[in-house]
Amino acid sequence: MKLRNILLLPVLALAVIACDNSNEPSIDAPATYEFTRNGESTVSFTGQTTRIKMATELASAMLDFDNSTEELLLEMYRNEAADGGNADPFQNPDLNDATKNIKGKVAASTDYFASNTQVSAEIKNEFESWISAQVNEVFPNENSLATEGEPGQIADGSSTRYVNGKGFEYNQLVGKSLIGALMTDQMLNNYLSTSVLDAGTNREDNNEGTLAEGSNYTTMEHKWDEAYGYLFGTATDLANPIPTVGDDDGFLNKYLGRVDGDDDFSGIAQEVFDAFKLGRAAIVAGAYDVREEQAQIIRERISTMIAVRAVYYLQSGKAALEQTNPEYGTAFHDLSEAYGFIYSLKFSRVPNSDSPYLSMQEIDNMLAQLEANNGLWDIETSVLDEMSETIADQFDFTIEQAAN
Amino acid sequence: MKKYTVLLFIVFFAWSCSDNGPSGPNPDDFDREAILVNWGDNIIVPSFTDLSEATAQLHTSAETFSASPTLQNLETLRGSWESAYLAFQHVSMFEMGEAMQLRYRDNLNIYPTDTTEIKQNITEGGYDLELPSLNNSQGFPALDYLIHGLSENDTEIVSYYTTNSDAQNYRTYLTDLTLRIDTLTDQVLDSWTSGYRDEFVNNSGNGANSSLDMMVNDYIYYYEKHLRAGKIGIPAGVFSGSPLSSHVEAYYSEGFSKALFNEALSASINFFNGTHFEGEADGQSLDDYLDYLNTMKDGADLTSIINNQFQDAKNEAQALNDNFAAQVETDNNLMLGTYDELQRNVVNMKVDMLQALNINVDYVDADGD
Repeated sequence: MKLRNILLLPVLALAVIACDNSNEPSIDAPATYEFTRNGESTVSFTGQTTRIKMATELASAMLDFDNSTEELLLEMYRNEAADGGNADPFQNPDLNDATKNIKGKVAASTDYFASNTQVSAEIKNEFESWISAQVNEVFPNENSLATEGEPGQIADGSSTRYVNGKGFEYNQLVGKSLIGALMTDQMLNNYLSTSVLDAGTNREDNNEGTLAEGSNYTTMEHKWDEAYGYLFGTATDLANPIPTVGDDDGFLNKYLGRVDGDDDFSGIAQEVFDAFKLGRAAIVAGAYDVREEQAQIIRERISTMIAVRAVYYLQSGKAALEQTNPEYGTAFHDLSEAYGFIYSLKFSRVPNSDSPYLSMQEIDNMLAQLEANNGLWDIETSVLDEMSETIADQFDFTIEQAAN
Repeated sequence: MKKYTVLLFIVFFAWSCSDNGPSGPNPDDFDREAILVNWGDNIIVPSFTDLSEATAQLHTSAETFSASPTLQNLETLRGSWESAYLAFQHVSMFEMGEAMQLRYRDNLNIYPTDTTEIKQNITEGGYDLELPSLNNSQGFPALDYLIHGLSENDTEIVSYYTTNSDAQNYRTYLTDLTLRIDTLTDQVLDSWTSGYRDEFVNNSGNGANSSLDMMVNDYIYYYEKHLRAGKIGIPAGVFSGSPLSSHVEAYYSEGFSKALFNEALSASINFFNGTHFEGEADGQSLDDYLDYLNTMKDGADLTSIINNQFQDAKNEAQALNDNFAAQVETDNNLMLGTYDELQRNVVNMKVDMLQALNINVDYVDADGD
């Protein structure tokens, strides 16, 4: 086998040389995500950082049995009171002062939802129904053991999980589905889209260096940065986020780090970061083809990352159920995460297309299978395999690669 | 081109085969059942029997103290707690069958214990000790807090059970905990003596669901997570970066953590060698299996390597303070040294031994989220 590869080398080398006469302008991407104009930074994504922090507080408040109420959790989701008035639901006062909120950006991308507002509203409300159910179904049963059809607590190793009557953790449904509905949708289907980057006079302004009002950036630069912010907006070093990737939030960043840690996908985090850097440098240089190529790379990698985690958790859940003594708590936790990642695939994006890797209908069918009858209490492991296959079939990885 | 590749392959293959000489003994020919019989009859059942007597005594001492909370009865209770906690170190690795169903180890020995929750249970009452969320407010670590940790001063500790406004609740909680330890232990022992022993011994084949594969996995898991990490590595800060002295076993006793560690290490060594519980006799175990297969590592006999390494860990731990919390705070390097010695046998057993015995690891490090 080795011998054959060696003999192939000259052929490969020729191919590489042949490719070299492309006439694309060469763009020098900087080593870090730092861009300046007149000595001042042009990079800004504070709104994204704010929303990641809001989602972090919401996810943890869903398990704060002593202090959280339905009203409070919904206020965290909306950052306003039920009557539309001002609310201060967050521990971090900066978040209370912010004019941003989570709900407004859920299922709200230009490409997928601008003319699909009914579905957008359904998805936004689905999160509210999970939040309310956590307080109304699970909170009252904090101190009872979960059984088939009855919410309560269940052991997962030495951790305790709190599930509904079908075995789902609402906090995981919210947390993992936000990865798709908020971060991924905004990134892949809004800020990296030509419809947004090239909206109005953006290209002309960018070509001529016309800055957005009161800012040091062009609108196009800023849109690209906002996409970046949903992934790296809470990084320890915002311009050089790879050293801590996976540790900086509980959403996209965390799971990009996790998938990067799997040998079958190592390097994916660097590839995404490089594409963001090069795409941003291309905007500065006015090289829109290069920008477009980078957007497609990011769409492909981020969508793949979500699919890998969906399959990973389906397979982990299956393994826990197949133990001699089925580990229900462990399986329920894994499959609640799987549910969220499958949900998130609704917001994935096939490069150079206008569609997700699986249709919303296909995804809703899978979710319905997980929820059918007594939900996770009586799910067949063969169904988990079928779902894993359905997902992996749409991507360039195998179930085995995702599962280990 | 293809043909050459294939030829090269065959040459390599033939060469690597002949290099090993005539094929060694086949793991399938070894009498696995003899090991299972020795483990079941000479180690596991006697260990649970001994613990069951100790937990009955612990409950009796708690009831006596509860009926008459005196300094002297507190001392007796502490003695019973120590005996039972030591006896528990011999069974903690056997988390299978009924013990696994009950999540026995998590009910008896999660530390650090949650003192806020303990106090809340005591003042509010109405607790259900079967809830997983209360695993960290019961068992030996919760008792440790109740008999050593309520105050620096023994007279004051006793006052929690006499003059405190919740004194009755303290007495009830104490005996509820000892009763639960005793009941769970009896449940596991009963299962072993009323059928599970035979099921365990008869399941003597190979493969992931055979008794030997499962027991060896449980043993190595215990050694890695509970002995190496729980007793030494976590308090020494191996996983967190900075030492966590409050995470030692028997923290409130201020002096019993080393005794528990030594007992647990001895139990692990005895299990590997098949040494009968509280006896000198050496029955069939992993050492004999490895010897039968002539297992070598770097030119030396793997059984000797593992046993020497156990001895090195024991020797390294000898210099440790009886109170591991004090050790962590004064000279954590000695703790780290002990951890390193223990870690070396994780590699010897989890990699080399499992490879020789053709057993797959059936657990992975949890995702952590």
